[in-house]
Amino acid sequence: MKRAPYTFGTDQTGKQYWRSLDELAETPEFKAAVEREFPDGAAELIDPVSRRSFLNLMGSSAALAGLAACRRPEEKILPYAHQPESMIPGNPDHYATVVPFLGTAVGLIVESHAGRPTKIEGNPLHPESLGAANIYIQASVLDMYDVDRSTSPQEAGKPSTWAKALETLTARGAALKGKQGAGLAILTEAHRSPTLQKALNDLTAQLPGAKVYRYEPHHRDSVREGARLAFGKVLDPVLALDKASVVVSLDSDFLQTEYSPLKNARGFAARRKLAKPGDTLSRLYSAESRYSITGANADHRLRIKSSEVGAFAFALARQLATAHGVALPADVVSALDGFKGTQFETKKKWVAAVAKDLANAEDGALLVAGWNQPASVHAVVNLINQALGAVGTTVSFVKPFDESAEGPASLAALTESITKKEVDTLVILGGNPVFSAPADVGFAAALQSVPFSAHLSLFHDETCSKVTWHLNRTHFLEEWSDARSEDGTAAIVQPLIAPLFAGRTDAEVVRALLGDTRKAYELVRATWAEGQGLAAENVWRKALHQGVIAGTTSVAEVVAVAAPDLAKAISGLPKSDGFEVTFAPDSHALDGRFANNGWLQEMPDPMSKITWDNAAQISPSTATKLGVRDGDLLSIKTQKGGTVKVAVAVQPGQADESVALTFGQGRSVVGRVGVGVGFDTYPLRSSAEHGIATGAQVQKVEGRHQLARTQEHHVMEGRPIVLETDLKGFTAQPDFAQKRAPNPPASLTVLPDWKYEGHKWGMVIDLNSCIGCNACMVACQSENNIPLVGREGVIRSREMHWIRVDRYYADMADDPATVFQPLPCMQCENAPCETVCPVAATTHSPEGLNDMAYNRCVGTRYCANNCPYKVRRFNYFNYAKDFSAIKKGAQIGTFFKEDLPEIRKMQFNPDVTVRSRGVMEKCTYCTQRITEVKLANKRDGKPGIKDGEIRTACQQTCPTEAIHFGDLNDPKSDVSIHAQQPRDYSLLAELNTRPRTTYLAKVRNPNAELETA
Amino acid sequence: MTTTLSPQELENDPSKRMPLVLGGKDFHGVTEAVAGIVERKMPVPWALGFLLALSVLGIFGASLGDLIGIGIGEWGNNQPVGWAWDITGFVFWIGIGHAGTLISAILFLFRQKWRTSINRAAEAMTIFAVLAALQFPLFHTGRPWFAAYWLLPIPNQMNIWPNFRSPLLWDVFAVSTYGTVSILFWFVGLVPDLATLRDRSKTRLGQIIYGIFALGWRGSHRHWVNYERAYLMLAGLSTPLVLSVHTIVSFDFAVSILPGWHTTIFPPYFVAGAIFSGFAMVMTLMIVARKAYGLEHLLTMRHLENMNKIILATGTLVGYAYGMEFFIAWYSGNDYESYVFFVSRATGPYAWAYWTMISCNVLFPQLFWFKKLRTSIPVMFVISIIVNIGMWFERFVIIATSLHRDFLPSSWGYMTPRLIDITFFLGTFGLFFTLFMLFVRFLPMIAIGEVKAVLPAADPHNHGHDSSGQGGKHHAHA
Repeated sequence: MKRAPYTFGTDQTGKQYWRSLDELAETPEFKAAVEREFPDGAAELIDPVSRRSFLNLMGSSAALAGLAACRRPEEKILPYAHQPESMIPGNPDHYATVVPFLGTAVGLIVESHAGRPTKIEGNPLHPESLGAANIYIQASVLDMYDVDRSTSPQEAGKPSTWAKALETLTARGAALKGKQGAGLAILTEAHRSPTLQKALNDLTAQLPGAKVYRYEPHHRDSVREGARLAFGKVLDPVLALDKASVVVSLDSDFLQTEYSPLKNARGFAARRKLAKPGDTLSRLYSAESRYSITGANADHRLRIKSSEVGAFAFALARQLATAHGVALPADVVSALDGFKGTQFETKKKWVAAVAKDLANAEDGALLVAGWNQPASVHAVVNLINQALGAVGTTVSFVKPFDESAEGPASLAALTESITKKEVDTLVILGGNPVFSAPADVGFAAALQSVPFSAHLSLFHDETCSKVTWHLNRTHFLEEWSDARSEDGTAAIVQPLIAPLFAGRTDAEVVRALLGDTRKAYELVRATWAEGQGLAAENVWRKALHQGVIAGTTSVAEVVAVAAPDLAKAISGLPKSDGFEVTFAPDSHALDGRFANNGWLQEMPDPMSKITWDNAAQISPSTATKLGVRDGDLLSIKTQKGGTVKVAVAVQPGQADESVALTFGQGRSVVGRVGVGVGFDTYPLRSSAEHGIATGAQVQKVEGRHQLARTQEHHVMEGRPIVLETDLKGFTAQPDFAQKRAPNPPASLTVLPDWKYEGHKWGMVIDLNSCIGCNACMVACQSENNIPLVGREGVIRSREMHWIRVDRYYADMADDPATVFQPLPCMQCENAPCETVCPVAATTHSPEGLNDMAYNRCVGTRYCANNCPYKVRRFNYFNYAKDFSAIKKGAQIGTFFKEDLPEIRKMQFNPDVTVRSRGVMEKCTYCTQRITEVKLANKRDGKPGIKDGEIRTACQQTCPTEAIHFGDLNDPKSDVSIHAQQPRDYSLLAELNTRPRTTYLAKVRNPNAELETA
Repeated sequence: MTTTLSPQELENDPSKRMPLVLGGKDFHGVTEAVAGIVERKMPVPWALGFLLALSVLGIFGASLGDLIGIGIGEWGNNQPVGWAWDITGFVFWIGIGHAGTLISAILFLFRQKWRTSINRAAEAMTIFAVLAALQFPLFHTGRPWFAAYWLLPIPNQMNIWPNFRSPLLWDVFAVSTYGTVSILFWFVGLVPDLATLRDRSKTRLGQIIYGIFALGWRGSHRHWVNYERAYLMLAGLSTPLVLSVHTIVSFDFAVSILPGWHTTIFPPYFVAGAIFSGFAMVMTLMIVARKAYGLEHLLTMRHLENMNKIILATGTLVGYAYGMEFFIAWYSGNDYESYVFFVSRATGPYAWAYWTMISCNVLFPQLFWFKKLRTSIPVMFVISIIVNIGMWFERFVIIATSLHRDFLPSSWGYMTPRLIDITFFLGTFGLFFTLFMLFVRFLPMIAIGEVKAVLPAADPHNHGHDSSGQGGKHHAHA
């Protein structure tokens, strides 16, 4: 079947099957008839979902395309890249959508096979994604197919129906009308949906007494307060790292969890590309306590307590003002006098050097403060940025989506209102505040005293058990909604699949309170119809198609210094005192919402490489002082919070007397994957010390807890593995890497090389771009159906990731530098694995790939033993089919097998074989993607394959574009150009394996003045 | 009957060698002593021993069921240690198997007459050890149901052949050839003795079964001539196998690129180690058997002492190889190689295994320099067991310590065995001993015909006796 390209603005009135039926369905009689025949919800999957019933539904939906009662979304959604006339079996569709994430929203392209979304990728047209997606967003597809999802509303813990729930909500709303809405409170996440906002506005208009609160455990309140202190209004900064040549991070992890990480990563990497001598690099300084990947990518990292970062920032500001004539308000400068650097005698050199570098930055300096830092630090940073001329170039400010507080203050206000008996109806839209509320607020207890409370959520969680009504929510892949990103760009959330368990969206629930029964689709259409210019069908379709609504990006606000309160705030900087405890979102569970996501639980933390856990990270010196080693237990008590026992992970690079904790693990009411994983640290977070708690009591307690790490040895032992130099060294000797790791002469063999007449695939990984974020690992996991091995499996070193990111420290002392190295299969020309396989299950393809025939493999594991890169993975158990494998490992002879839930199987990529027990597997350069493009081009009669037409999953999602893939036979291809760079070298070249995957050596850009520091 | 020299007399006059058969047995006495074991009623100690072996075999069966039912994950193997107790067990048993062929074939060709008392049992041991060894390469694969025949070059409609470049395939050929030749050699040697048992059997069943396997042996001159030729040819065939099997097994490692495996010294080193462990195993078994069945007159101190000398020699060879590995690691200037030996093995996480190996294989056998210790039954029994423990560790050290820390430190790991590793390996002893117990119960454990040939009575120059070696053989089934 030929596919005609879809063009916008064509006549929509022509004969169209779908459309005419839709129109038909508009007539009341027909509508009623349809509803009788296919009552709403008749198609819902009732747990446990069987594949048979799913296929039945699929079959009937194909037959009745366009009508209700099909598994495909009822409303029209538009495929992004291709426009099939109808679904072509075997061909995936791609749809654009958007996901709200950590105070921004990321545009996505989702791959869908036969109506099942299987893989999430970034949308290149969306400014917040630029084609990339991070680990959490990519892994969220697994949440939709989670067998532990809530399948129906529950009243007081008993299963109920949506009909009853909606009736109750509407009745509740009607009753509230009499009181003008007094007693109604709505608690939302830090959502960014205009449709939800509109629903809430309508609600407060009709019920003026109703209150709306926002709460997010990882929030940017101090960022906004910092803007208010500096510029007199609440603003959100938007960073442009691609314009900055000197960046100072003050305790900020802007490459992973703060601001807009994907965009930041892309911008940062843009200034770290290096093709030839003479190219410049940006310079990143980082002052932080927790060793974040941002710190790991810094050229200079100052290891200080987070509670001292403020003093450091002030000393820096003072230095800039006094020594470099940076204009700051007089009262601020005099307030800064208190930070002459007395606390920083030892760091004086640092302050001087960084200030000088910032003042002399050739094209753009940028200071970034972390979300945990107090508002005064943000305010001073804003003033410096303003004075250095950074505002407008490297940072701009936009109006926040919603100015109200979203941190602990907001939740505290709600709790106070509840305890004063002012709230009789509480509707919680998403989030899990019972789990994530600050320890001193007492939200959980207060919640139980509310006569009517409802919680809309994807899972049964801690909050569900404390409310009178639990309502099951839609996953973002199942719903119609919309979201604005940090810079204001709006996009439509369009469903890839009709809600699996008949969940409802936030906006629908709010509307239900008003007796409004419109569906989410209509609500979203309504939001964007009125004055937003999306009323016209073709404009709407274009917005859906592209995944971005054109012209919605916020205009940067003009800011002027207005800091009357700042001087006081500076003097009020909390003292750093004793042990400090810092809190960051967990690298697996984020704030707790991904606790039941196996991919994320098994994704190693970028720095510590811990899986299925969180830990208290302390420096080696502090560990010695406390008399603890890896896996011992610490009891930690904060001044305003409770006491928690956490396992120790000794972390080189961590500041002394500082304990880095992550929040989100240790969930008590959670699905079967997250049970018993990690330690709950929320009891330590108080509203006053939500990000950094000082004066904590830390001591060793009895007991041990083994941490499951994917990497147990952390230094390179002097081997030429990750090669690096500084900019000076690179200029002097651009091919330093090839000198250090020379390729053996071709004359080692008398046989002629194989002539690759067609394609010759190759990959180049730029170690200067890689920030170690793991996005490639999740991309690979979802593309290639990579199974999980569970915590025990990781402890036994049996993890299955086809691509891993190795992380090496320069040493195991207190303050090491760090390098990252993504390692897929090297696809060696002389592959050691190929010669030793007795059954010839792994062979070389005519295009240079090291192929693996799973059907032929008998599992001798000889290939893995002989692989010097150790990239081969063995199915020791039936991981792909046995759900209990993720929990098994400890007990011998567990004959009980728990089949993988049917619903989970819907995520599998049908283009990739699911491997059985006893089979070796490995990276294939996404051979299915290569084949797909080759076949399509052959079918369409296109000659050859254009460079960039085939992208491997890891390459596609890499936020920094560190991975280059293509045809080495084409001298103009991206990969060939990079392979020709002087920095290119082969890993373990001396073995003469002649890897296909080569690396571009790392080049740092240190400041000469700090080199001897 | 002629008198024999006592050990004291021998010491007084070293020019005379200790006779190979003591206790003044004549031809018939030898037949009675050996065949009597088979014909007696089942002794209670044998029954108990057999039950014990059978229960250990049961453990093997249970472990195998677990392994096939659930997966190789039931073992402790991981990434990077893809092979651990499995291939250790394989090389261990194959090594033990070596003594049998060596004693049967090479010593036969060299006319080492002292071999006659031990060769039958040693050959049986070889076959059972090879059977035990085969359990590992087959069941250590992820999908043994395919491995069992995909590894064989069987023509098929897909035209897929095994990969002839893989040392594992060479293993398949080497071990199967070795097993086949060993069985043939053993069986050919058994034929005259089976005929003896057939002729002496008092039950119909015995007559039929022994009769079938005796292949109509009547002891005619023609039979003996053919037999001697066949035996000589098989001995000639087996001799290169002694060297080739373990050489090829060592190629599994030597042909790879892993530091610690990629070593040219492996073939001779493995062969020496195999003979070393094989003789130690024969020693352990023979000491028990001669005591249990009162065969001290046939399995004399001279036999034991000779074997101890071989253990001493091969143990020292193995020690030399250990030293040479270190020297080459240093001399080659290869950092990865140096790391494996000087750090991983000597001081790394598996250092305990390395030093266990050194003390068991290099230090303890040195005690055999002293004649007193070399001729002390308790000492040699203990050392024979120590040597086999040490040889197990040698294979473990080679396999696990090389694998656990190879090129990229990021993938370094450690392998801890799980219960099934231990029970599976232990279970192969059940398999081995069950077969061995059946062998000593139902087959002549000493080659009757051959022993008769080395009796003083068979010596044409023997004073007071006029029978010849041939004559002796005529008597063999009298």
